[in-house]
Amino acid sequence: MTSQNSSNRSKSSAPLSCADFQQQLPDLFAASSESLPDDPALLEHLKTCENCSALVRDLQYIADQARQLLEPTHEPSDNVWEKIQKSLATEPTYVANPNKQ
Amino acid sequence: MEVQGLQMTESKTAPGLFKRNPPIAGEAEAIERAKAGDAEAFSKLYALHKRRVYTLCLRMLGNVSEAEDMTQEAFLHLFRKIGSFRGESAFSTWLHRLTVNLVLMHLRKKGLQLVSLEETINPSEEDSPKRDFGSRDTQLAGSVDRVALERAVASLPPGYRMVFVLHDVEGFEHNEIAVMLECSTGNSKSQLHKARLKLRELLRQPEPTQEADLKEAAL
Repeated sequence: MTSQNSSNRSKSSAPLSCADFQQQLPDLFAASSESLPDDPALLEHLKTCENCSALVRDLQYIADQARQLLEPTHEPSDNVWEKIQKSLATEPTYVANPNKQ
Repeated sequence: MEVQGLQMTESKTAPGLFKRNPPIAGEAEAIERAKAGDAEAFSKLYALHKRRVYTLCLRMLGNVSEAEDMTQEAFLHLFRKIGSFRGESAFSTWLHRLTVNLVLMHLRKKGLQLVSLEETINPSEEDSPKRDFGSRDTQLAGSVDRVALERAVASLPPGYRMVFVLHDVEGFEHNEIAVMLECSTGNSKSQLHKARLKLRELLRQPEPTQEADLKEAAL
């Protein structure tokens, strides 16, 4: 649905179809991650359509759960640090033991 | 810092970011010493950040060997560029942005076009998330653990995974992602939505091992 269509629909207060509602979801999530949409037609659909409200809950749940993945769980092998050290040794500004300067 | 047209700037810390990147004891001092080329300080920075950098690389690339190479590349780049870090944002945020830019550059070199995600790495019909106009099914809330989510994210098509990791995991905004991936913000929003739909689809499927166990038990 284009914004033009959305605006026409709001004026006519026609009920939203699931397809129309779901088409607006990317923008809705981006615009109001922590608050409900203020368009009455969207709110009405969310209130009355069990399927779409379950979809919204699930998508919000996935977005919330994603944050727990920020905590790192994987560790690089020791080879990585060894290779970094070898490469750093060739850097002109690298000071292996600053106290000996 | 500029990585293939991407300006490496220190953006102001966004609200909530402080919670995601709390200050680390001894980090500030290590940064200053590392700026002078101190190997020991650099070793400390590596120890503090290696897991987050590597995990980020692994999620973006989905391959251990490439992820290790990019982790190495990121820390070498860090060593060369740390002098330009002025502390206007959290160090981890700055390091993450540097890593993301390097990974994206690596992917472009490999021929993965990120300019228009919609057209170039759009998944096949088979991979596309289905619209949900059907009957209601079991809700996800409370049923998804970290391992299941991690596995589902890893199985996302690359374009979806990239935007999902950058936005929902790493906390980048759509406008930042649009700059990094050289696409529109609309494109970023759309890819994220499709990624979440696809994840929902994947997470609602029974676990393969559980399914196999059930089949085995039925025999």
